Amino acid sequence: MVKEIIVIGAGLAGLTCSVKSASKNMHVKLFSPAHSERSQSVMAMGGINAALNTKGEDDSVNEHYTDTINAGQHINNHNAVEKLTNDAPEIIDWLSKLGTSFTRDDDGNVDVRYFGGQKKMRTAYAGARTGKQILTAINTECRKWEYKDKIKRYVGWRFLSLILDDDKVCRGVVMINENTEEIRDFYADFVVIASGGMNKVFGKISGSLHNDGFVSGKLLHQGIELANMEMIQYHPTTIETPVKRMLITEAARGEGGKLYTLRNGEKWYFMEEWYPEQGALMPRDVVSRSIYRVCHEDDMGIDGENKVYLDLTHLDEKTVKTKLDEVYDVCMNYLNLDPTREPIPVYPGVHYFMGGIRTDDAHKTNIRNLFAIGECSSQYHGANRLGGNSLLGAIHGGWVVADQLEEISCENNSSEEYEILNYEYEAYENWKELQKEANNISSYEIEEEIANIMNRTMGIYRTESELKEGLNKLDSLETIHVNSHGCYYDYILLKSLTDIAKAMLSSALARKESRGAHQRLDYPETNEEYLKTTVISFDNDELKITFNDTEERMSW
Amino acid sequence: MESITVIIKTSKGMKEYTYEGNLNIPVTTLLERINVKHDIKIHYSSSCLQGLCGSCSMIINGLPKLACKTFVNEEATTKKMHKITIEPLSKFHVVKDLVVDRTSMFENIKNSRQWLEEESRINQDNLEFEYEASQCYGAILPVTSSKISKQESNMDKLKFLKENYSNHFYNDCVKSLACENICPMNIQTQRAISIMNRHSIWKFHKLLKK
Ligand SMILES: Cc1cc2nc3c(=O)[nH]c(=O)nc-3n(C[C@H](O)[C@H](O)[C@H](O)COP(=O)(O)OP(=O)(O)OC[C@H]3O[C@@H](n4cnc5c(N)ncnc54)[C@H](O)[C@@H]3O)c2cc1C
Ligand code: SF4
Ligand code: FES
Repeated sequence: MVKEIIVIGAGLAGLTCSVKSASKNMHVKLFSPAHSERSQSVMAMGGINAALNTKGEDDSVNEHYTDTINAGQHINNHNAVEKLTNDAPEIIDWLSKLGTSFTRDDDGNVDVRYFGGQKKMRTAYAGARTGKQILTAINTECRKWEYKDKIKRYVGWRFLSLILDDDKVCRGVVMINENTEEIRDFYADFVVIASGGMNKVFGKISGSLHNDGFVSGKLLHQGIELANMEMIQYHPTTIETPVKRMLITEAARGEGGKLYTLRNGEKWYFMEEWYPEQGALMPRDVVSRSIYRVCHEDDMGIDGENKVYLDLTHLDEKTVKTKLDEVYDVCMNYLNLDPTREPIPVYPGVHYFMGGIRTDDAHKTNIRNLFAIGECSSQYHGANRLGGNSLLGAIHGGWVVADQLEEISCENNSSEEYEILNYEYEAYENWKELQKEANNISSYEIEEEIANIMNRTMGIYRTESELKEGLNKLDSLETIHVNSHGCYYDYILLKSLTDIAKAMLSSALARKESRGAHQRLDYPETNEEYLKTTVISFDNDELKITFNDTEERMSW
Repeated sequence: MESITVIIKTSKGMKEYTYEGNLNIPVTTLLERINVKHDIKIHYSSSCLQGLCGSCSMIINGLPKLACKTFVNEEATTKKMHKITIEPLSKFHVVKDLVVDRTSMFENIKNSRQWLEEESRINQDNLEFEYEASQCYGAILPVTSSKISKQESNMDKLKFLKENYSNHFYNDCVKSLACENICPMNIQTQRAISIMNRHSIWKFHKLLKK
């Protein structure tokens, strides 16, 4: 019997899982609102980590493991990280064979560069467009399997809900077509969620607009546990543009870029002074806090504003234009600034979600037959992610899950009728009625309000009073009648965003310590008691939080 | 504060809006602000908002462009006295307002079978071109096309590719060079084609004769 797999999301994680499953003779339905070429994965610039040890630095997978755990402040799932770092060199090899045009050194080896939080050159890259280059390769492979009818793509479809049977086993999904608003059910032996980060709760951040967090929010509502939701990465170097805060990749510092501000009219390389060994290449949480300190505690931001300089002017012009081509383009296009001649004004911005759907080292969720991979999952990065580990994690997730799907036996007896589809139809009809009311508040206003609350309360530093105030404000938004401009999805999205936002604030409240990306002004110390995974779920309409062992396995 | 007239071709016909404010913004930001200000939803596709994903192509003042990389001040003030016209791409089925369905393009790529049947080898001298080609938003010019032409050894596949290639490039392309001006990634499409011609056609012939 051929196994049927549903994959939600067609970024690197979803694509890898699909391609690998197809090659193991399974049948895949791959859903996404837009084609893979539009996913956030194509935005990844800097690189992907693997201890290839080609630079005579005596690097090893053990060191990659240790660096990852240290950066994550020991609340990563250690077993998961062990597999991740062990498999990394093989993943690079696989990607090369698929045709990724990695930048190569003079010996023809995949070149590696320095990245934050790692003392060895370990980050493989393809110019400054690593994500795009890798995606092109896997996507091409995917077409091959589409052509052979092993993978069927559904583009323009968004996830609406899981289909769960009476024993809480996942049987399939209900999806909505963005263009026609058709609501439909799809069944499979296994469902794999690969829907990316929860970007929209913070408004517009460095990543893609498609990854709004709807899936994670809806899953929470349906009884799926989320984990480490308070762990939100501020990338140290983002630039302010009229569009949004855009990212300047860590590779800019990996290639030798320096951070400074002006003190008495002179350049002050504060990172080198405070952290002589690794300087500007400390882990991201440390660099972001340092910039915060310069601007807010020392009051030494450039021109009295919240910014410091990222300086590339001393680098060889060719390095900037070829190895950092994307940095050059972004600065020229959106700041009208030539980074080979002028320093770039930067400040930390929300970038990545270490937390998400609770997953164990096998990428299993707490619901039987449901997996989660890529940025929406949560086991690899702990309290802070190393740059270059998320592309790796996304691909690894797809790889690990496909292997298991092949192994796990499944009984396929689903001819049951499920209530959920009718429920979704009804919800849609209710919305239509609601939209007829006058004086509804615009969905744009609510989205903005949620983002404001999150940006205010979930910054680099947090306090109990602010978090509580944020939660109250979120509660008050829930009773408002919303006008979603004829777009059903925009309407249901708000409920999910509110749930996710609450889960983040509640988790941040519960973790009464400071660790990695989670810094509490009222609990500034790291506390051994919290060497745990924060787990949040709905229990009779109330959010419930527990702290679980980081290596805990799911029971199925 | 400057003011401009924005004309948008929506599913409900041509609509005209006045926008006041900073003009040093890309067209995606302009659309976003018009939606919020007028409390409406004009549908358009976007994802990365920084010229990396190709979602937001639309016709701006008559030419296909990426809305997130096209700045309003350049379009509206210098070229067309305080006016900007925004329409959906004209070669595809319009789904809603500025959103088009480009499935046919992806289907064509799939059916042209641009992938290697074997493991890819490293072509050190071809790397730069491969890097450039795989920046293509539609991955129409994927790195593999050039890899295939250098490497593929499966005979049936080569025969298929040869037919396909001569239909599309030799007989269909009129070499007007217009694509070079339009490509938002500045990919030198003619150079790409000529490199592929060089690698492929003769190689296909040679291989197939054997
Ligand atoms: C600017 C930038 C630079 C980065 N640079 C690096 C780097 O150098 N190295 C590194 O390791 N990482 C980097 N990252 C992080 C990395 O890009 C992501 O973590 C990674 O690509 C995630 O892959 P994914 O497959 O999980 O998600 P994505 O690629 O985001 O894919 C998510 C998929 O889910 C789909 N989806 C979303 N919502 C729904 C829904 N409701 N229903 C159905 N489908 C849905 C999306 O359309 C998409 O197809 C960077 C990120 C950004 C933003
Ligand atoms: S070559 Fe340029 S214009 Fe053509 S599809 Fe690719 S990116 Fe678009
Ligand atoms: S939104 Fe990605 S290119 Fe414009």
